[in-house]
Amino acid sequence: MKSNNLVKIVSTVVGIVIAMFFVVLVVADPDQDIVARSPLLGQPAPAVTSETIDGAQFVLERRKGSWVVLNFFNSTCVPCINEHDLLVDFANSEASNLNGAEIYTIINDDSSDAVRDFFNKNGGDWQKVKDDNGAIAVAFGVARVPETWIIDPNGMVRLRITGELSPGLLSEQVNKLRDGFTS
Amino acid sequence: MKTRKSVWLAMFLLVAVLLVFGATRTGGPQTQQDRIDSLTAVLACPTCSGESVFVSRAAAAESIRAEVARQVSAGLRTDEQILSYIEQRFGGEVLLVPRATGVDALVWALPVAALVFSIFLLYSAFTKWRGNKPESPTSQDEQIVARALNTKSDEQ
Repeated sequence: MKSNNLVKIVSTVVGIVIAMFFVVLVVADPDQDIVARSPLLGQPAPAVTSETIDGAQFVLERRKGSWVVLNFFNSTCVPCINEHDLLVDFANSEASNLNGAEIYTIINDDSSDAVRDFFNKNGGDWQKVKDDNGAIAVAFGVARVPETWIIDPNGMVRLRITGELSPGLLSEQVNKLRDGFTS
Repeated sequence: MKTRKSVWLAMFLLVAVLLVFGATRTGGPQTQQDRIDSLTAVLACPTCSGESVFVSRAAAAESIRAEVARQVSAGLRTDEQILSYIEQRFGGEVLLVPRATGVDALVWALPVAALVFSIFLLYSAFTKWRGNKPESPTSQDEQIVARALNTKSDEQ
């Protein structure tokens, strides 16, 4: 008799748990966030030191005081190619802003020559940073390109956008962050 | 019966000793490359499914492998610190072996709890079945049967 009660209790608990799983599955909103999660959000940006394809030194920490947009890029990746015009437009609009963001391309698994050719053909006069052995990509936890990161003037990581940018998204997000920023 | 019990006990002890030995053995990697291999073997490739960084040839896995190699060569971080560095960048899902702390600890604790609970249920069931065994007849029962048998033989 006691054992029968135990079986009833165990089956009821298992039933409730399964029912709860179904409720969560039905009720939960699908993940449609334009911005991606990252353990780095709200944390200081990783220390990044490298050089650009033109031989200039790039130290991310020295960019403190400016909004920085890092775009992880590969010249053969289709979404990277698709979003390029949007980045050019963004860079042009930020150039006319006193507090405009600086944009940097972080080359992901690609050669400097291929990247130089791509930018010569498609525009974009910002700096392209080499990432030999993917150290910068690992420091940011980037697995696939394109990815776009926004870092505030205090050097804190504020936003991560995975995948291809949609029109106006980057400007909208930078403006929103800039408006709510207090140093 | 006593001999059988001793054999089971000896086997149990042997298994326990081997498990303890296997779990606590600290052979450790012999070279830097061994260390890199053992670290990358417990890291999941972030762009592949079910592959470790050690076996994957994906670009992201190559980058992680290079980073692990760089940190091992620098010799400034322990294995745990290197794994934490990668975990802080890619999230907990990059670890193929879940940690034994926080919610992840459930992965380790639940199977043990299920095993203990199953053993308890089996023990309860066996005890109950043993309890249901027909009782041996009392002297009164035997007398009734004997009387019935006598009556039957008299009738014949």
